[in-house]
Amino acid sequence: MNKEPEHSFVELLEKHQNIIHKVCRLYTNNYDAHNDLFQEITIQLWKAYPKFRGDSKFSTWMYRVGLNTAITLYRKSKRTIATQGFDGVEFKMKAETYDDTEEQQLKTMYNALHQLNDIDKALVFLYLEDKDYSEISETMGISEVNARVKMNRIKTKLKTILNP
Amino acid sequence: MDELELLKKDWNKQSEHKKLSAKEIYPMLHKKSSSIVKMLFYISIGELVLWILINCIPYTFSDAYKQRIESIYSNNYLFAALTVFGYGIILLFIYLLFKSHKAISVTDNAKKLMESILRTRKIVKYYVIYNLVMAFISMAVGSYFFIFHSPELSDSISHLNNKQLIIMFGITLGITAVFVFAIWLFYKLIYGWLLKRLNRNYKELQKLED
Repeated sequence: MNKEPEHSFVELLEKHQNIIHKVCRLYTNNYDAHNDLFQEITIQLWKAYPKFRGDSKFSTWMYRVGLNTAITLYRKSKRTIATQGFDGVEFKMKAETYDDTEEQQLKTMYNALHQLNDIDKALVFLYLEDKDYSEISETMGISEVNARVKMNRIKTKLKTILNP
Repeated sequence: MDELELLKKDWNKQSEHKKLSAKEIYPMLHKKSSSIVKMLFYISIGELVLWILINCIPYTFSDAYKQRIESIYSNNYLFAALTVFGYGIILLFIYLLFKSHKAISVTDNAKKLMESILRTRKIVKYYVIYNLVMAFISMAVGSYFFIFHSPELSDSISHLNNKQLIIMFGITLGITAVFVFAIWLFYKLIYGWLLKRLNRNYKELQKLED
């Protein structure tokens, strides 16, 4: 068997692995589940690799496959706690106790991020990764306008959490 | 300040998960996937095989059944046509199923990927419905012929009054309903378990486009 593609794939993956780790961190909440999802994304990337054409950046391609695996293909193991819907009440209670330090604020933000639904998480993830709305809309399969509207709603949600 | 901007600043500074070496990544490529597409593929193959077996086994292994069927279909052309039709439908489903499985691509956008998975699931669903309908028709036709080809039975039925006939009809209908309900529940559970998350996320995406 030709080892060449395998070698180049592993090299690319090793270099860009942080993208997958970030997806895993967002969609799982413990070490084992993180590794499970990482494994599944790697398999999906490798399976799709023959179709990968150099015309798109490997990292761009990884975002799509990574998110698709996390949102759609991955069957959550029992070790992963299911995503809960956004619960504003809970955050208000948490926010009451927060002091104004940036660190605390970030902690609350990460907490909130973890409780968004799968789709909202994906949008925020792409936003945090500095993707523009056209790329967000292409990755998710929604219109650019709707991606923008949704992002604004999520921002408002997060604002409410921090400034109840 | 925009809260997300604050998060953005911090996002890339996050402590990295233990970086994997190439040596650790290699074995991962050859591990088995546990994705829902793979599960769906196995379930659909199981579905195809199961219904083919249900249709074929009694005919292949029981001579009495074979004779009975052949006596019912005294018209050989009709029997041959029905058999060809049955296999044709199965082949059509196999073709559609493989085609839709092949169309599932992890590199599509999120919505399209979900849609192609749901389309595949729909084909399996139609296949099952087709088989249930066929099973129902065969049962109805079968019992009709069974009754009218067996003198004792048709004799005893002719003695039943209307009320008794209705009761008999009701019982048959009830048994059929329970049977169909059990199968429906079985599918609901299997696919519900498999596609719960996908359905939820797909609805969420659809909501965005409303």
